[in-house]
Amino acid sequence: MKSARPWLAPLLSALFLALLVGVWYLATYQPAAEATVDSEYAALVGQAASTGAKSAMPTPGEVGAKLWEHLSDPFYDRGTNDKGIGIQLLYSIGRVLLGFGLAALVAIPLGFVIGMSPLIYKALDPFIQVLKPVSPLAWMPLALYTIKDSGISAIFVIFICSLWPMLVNTAFGVAGVRRDWLNVARTLEVSRLRTAFQVILPAAAPTIMTGMRISIGIAWLVIVAAEMLVGGTGIGYFVWNEWNNLSIANIISAILFIGLIGMALDTLLARLARAVTYRE
Amino acid sequence: MSAFRNPFDHRVRLHRSGCACGRHASQAEHDHAEALEARQLQDRVVEGAVMRALFPQDEMRRGFLRAVGAGTALAAVSTLFPLGLAKEAFAQGAGALEKTKLKVGFIPITCATPIIMAHPLGFYSKYGLDVEVVKTAGWAVIRDKALAKEYDAAHMLSPMPLAISTGTGSNPIPWTAPAVENINGQAITLAMKHKDKRDPKDWKGFKFAVPFDYSMHNYLLRYYLAEHGLDPDRDVQIRSVPPPEMVANLRADNIDGFLAPDPVNQRAVYDGVGFIHLLSKEIWDGHPCCVFSASKEFVAQNPNTYHALLKSILDATAYARKAENRKEIAAAIAPANYLNQPVTVVEQVLTGTYADGLGNVKKDPNRIDFDPFPYDSFAVWILTQMKRWGQLKGEVDYAKVAKEVFLATDAARLMKELGMPAADPARPIVVMGKTFDPKQPAAYVDSFAIKRG
Amino acid sequence: MTQPFLKVEALAKRYPGPAGKPANTVFENIHFGIAKGEFACIVGHSGCGKTTILNVLAGLDEASEGVVIMDGREVRGPSLDRGVVFQGHALLPWLSTLKNVEFGVRSRWPQWTPKQIEAHSIRYLEMVGLGHALHKKPAELSGGMKQRVGIARAFAIQPKMLLLDEPFGALDALTRGTIQDELLAIVQATHQTVFMITHDVDEAILLADKVLLMSNGPHARIAEIVDITMPRDRSRATIHHDPQYYRIRNHLVDFLVNRSRDYAAGEPAAAAHDPRNPPLVRPGLEGGAEVLPLSAGTAAAVSLLKPLSSASA
Repeated sequence: MKSARPWLAPLLSALFLALLVGVWYLATYQPAAEATVDSEYAALVGQAASTGAKSAMPTPGEVGAKLWEHLSDPFYDRGTNDKGIGIQLLYSIGRVLLGFGLAALVAIPLGFVIGMSPLIYKALDPFIQVLKPVSPLAWMPLALYTIKDSGISAIFVIFICSLWPMLVNTAFGVAGVRRDWLNVARTLEVSRLRTAFQVILPAAAPTIMTGMRISIGIAWLVIVAAEMLVGGTGIGYFVWNEWNNLSIANIISAILFIGLIGMALDTLLARLARAVTYRE
Repeated sequence: MSAFRNPFDHRVRLHRSGCACGRHASQAEHDHAEALEARQLQDRVVEGAVMRALFPQDEMRRGFLRAVGAGTALAAVSTLFPLGLAKEAFAQGAGALEKTKLKVGFIPITCATPIIMAHPLGFYSKYGLDVEVVKTAGWAVIRDKALAKEYDAAHMLSPMPLAISTGTGSNPIPWTAPAVENINGQAITLAMKHKDKRDPKDWKGFKFAVPFDYSMHNYLLRYYLAEHGLDPDRDVQIRSVPPPEMVANLRADNIDGFLAPDPVNQRAVYDGVGFIHLLSKEIWDGHPCCVFSASKEFVAQNPNTYHALLKSILDATAYARKAENRKEIAAAIAPANYLNQPVTVVEQVLTGTYADGLGNVKKDPNRIDFDPFPYDSFAVWILTQMKRWGQLKGEVDYAKVAKEVFLATDAARLMKELGMPAADPARPIVVMGKTFDPKQPAAYVDSFAIKRG
Repeated sequence: MTQPFLKVEALAKRYPGPAGKPANTVFENIHFGIAKGEFACIVGHSGCGKTTILNVLAGLDEASEGVVIMDGREVRGPSLDRGVVFQGHALLPWLSTLKNVEFGVRSRWPQWTPKQIEAHSIRYLEMVGLGHALHKKPAELSGGMKQRVGIARAFAIQPKMLLLDEPFGALDALTRGTIQDELLAIVQATHQTVFMITHDVDEAILLADKVLLMSNGPHARIAEIVDITMPRDRSRATIHHDPQYYRIRNHLVDFLVNRSRDYAAGEPAAAAHDPRNPPLVRPGLEGGAEVLPLSAGTAAAVSLLKPLSSASA
């Protein structure tokens, strides 16, 4: 249905946002309280503790200030363990793209083989079915133990979690290529290689892209958890480091950035998917 | 070795009567004695390298030595390999650092103070090292990264090198703890709602957190509970929770308290979530907590680098020991690159003037202290507790393991080189009024009413 | 008659039956030949195996028994010598019209430059009147235009023989007529040898030199070979003025409606029939064949045939 008022949906979105921030503001609003302890003690503890309370959730204003702080200097580098959020995001994106790219390099050719050969499909199916539902983070200790490098382990975890959706979708797409199109290639004596690249690949491309979209979504989910686990660099490390500091405002900022980048990655792949989609 | 002393350091006395350690009549005599010792050490290193080359597996080497005796072995190896020549050749290049770019892992707690502060305050660069100190997410990760050689050396809980060396929880890999980082500096923190339950007898059913199974925190908490008649495995729950999660869990009422490293305790006070029930020094004044550690392989392959690194740590530890430096250190290690905590929290921990969470400002300058000497007796005590709580099974050669892991001899020699006062090897260990005799570990384990296995 | 250009001998297709039961025979004892430049149509009810025969000729399917010999060589597997126009046009939907044709041309003449390939492909697309739609994707074309691309693709590789699997079955009557005319013109100009499946009796009469009538399956066979004796310069507009037209048409319709089922095992017609040498009939000529009178019910049956054609696979 085409809306006659195209501004309605964005307006509603803005309204929801305002409502959310409003509720958040009210929930975190605290009237200035008198310190219940002597000033010497008050100087040693946080604001909330000086009034006998627990430290509170940050207000929208505090988070906004933090966001602005991150946005105004995203690429600072103050040592190994303190880098700007922009740099951390770039590390995470780099890992995701590397792990995802390697997975694509393996999954798409392998998916091709599986899709074209019912025998190999049947032989590999039990492995795929068992390995597919394993949480990627479960691989982490094994990866750390065998690979002996936390950076490569994180990439391996991304690799393994990106692999399955691409593999399964590629096999499915390849197996489902219309018989007619293959017959056209056969009657035209097109070589197997050319058939693979010029008939099967474009025919299965939309299905493969669907798999890739699912994969990058999972990869982006997993990288945060993986980096929280191994630390070092990346947005997951940033979240962990700020958790260490109990800085909820920073964590909320990071959540926002994680969401935005995730959306950007998905949009990018959706664009690519549109480029290879065809109408019959 | 006085050449190693930094002449631009105001803390170093370049001219004095007698020598740095006080055992020799003059500095010249001292230096001569030191050079002799250094030469002996070098020879050891060369012999060690040759033996390793001949016997890649330590088992084999030990078997060989047992079978023929050390003297025969030396003679036999000399015929195969010109040891004398090798020692000569090695002596020519003495002092050259095998490696200057190093990675050292740490967990963001105040126990790591010497390791961390050595970076911003320039102790590493003073000894010609370019050290990157890398913040790490947890003890298991720091162990795995150290085992994977991602780190050249690492901050560990003092029981961890013992656990790694004895193969408790993993395959045995020879590990060393050449320096203790801090003594004291831990505390039992309870949730605010328990502020009237100060007697441990009221703690039945509590859920406690400790940073790791193989930690002084675990052993001290268990000791403390057991002394008050609570069985730590039956009457309470003790979970292993990474320090950053402890305050969040306390806040969420998932746990009732923890025995944790600082700044976690002080942070709980700062956020109004808990109060400090007891400092760990009240359980055992002078207990070790974390150690600076490296694999035996690293120590053997990079003797010069290892010594330079150890000297930076010893030097930093000595600096941290001085009360007047504590504020400067707190400011240096609080930023996001290191502990990522409010400066006041770190300062309270290091200066010992702190809010206890119940409205009192307490003053205890020994809340945390820094004494690098890795007493064998520490290791033996830890091993007795590992045995007591069933982490170590079977017969344990306490003294042997302690000697292999806690490199007291190395530390003593280097401390002497740095002009630090010698450690008192007979320093007594008194835990909650009970004296520990490191020569009778088995009897000590047996003396406890509450124990496993 | 000399050795024909295409010779089909003793072709049979059987599918293994359920365990222990005899095999399912779709057709057997199929014998026929097509001369060079000849246009043969095959007509029969659904299920008699027409498409299977075409696929065997194309090399896409394998017969259980029998051989196909084209130009003195046995047909084994697909070849550029035989162009196929598929029932459902089978254009690659992600390629433009031009690229679809070029796809085949590049295969046929791999040594050609891209320019040569393009020029050659455009020539064939212009031949089917699609010079204006070179860069459109198949989804943007009407059904008739798509099938024209399919025809252009098959012709562009200049095969020795063209196989058409009911190419106009899915088109509306008007479009179908136009494309039939175009196909007729091209075939007459190029003297292409053609084998075509159709359900449309009028289409067969218009285009074919001879029509192979297949009896109903299972155990289908070539029942008769009908020689279309009308002069070659036919046109859709005038063909029904030829007196032969209705005689041939009646004969074909009568076969489909009444006689196609008479060849099943045990029927008298089957007993008298030699599938290796099916009778050649010329119903267009006076006395060329026994022409059965069209009964009143048959006219209705003819219109009933239409839905069959679209349902055929």
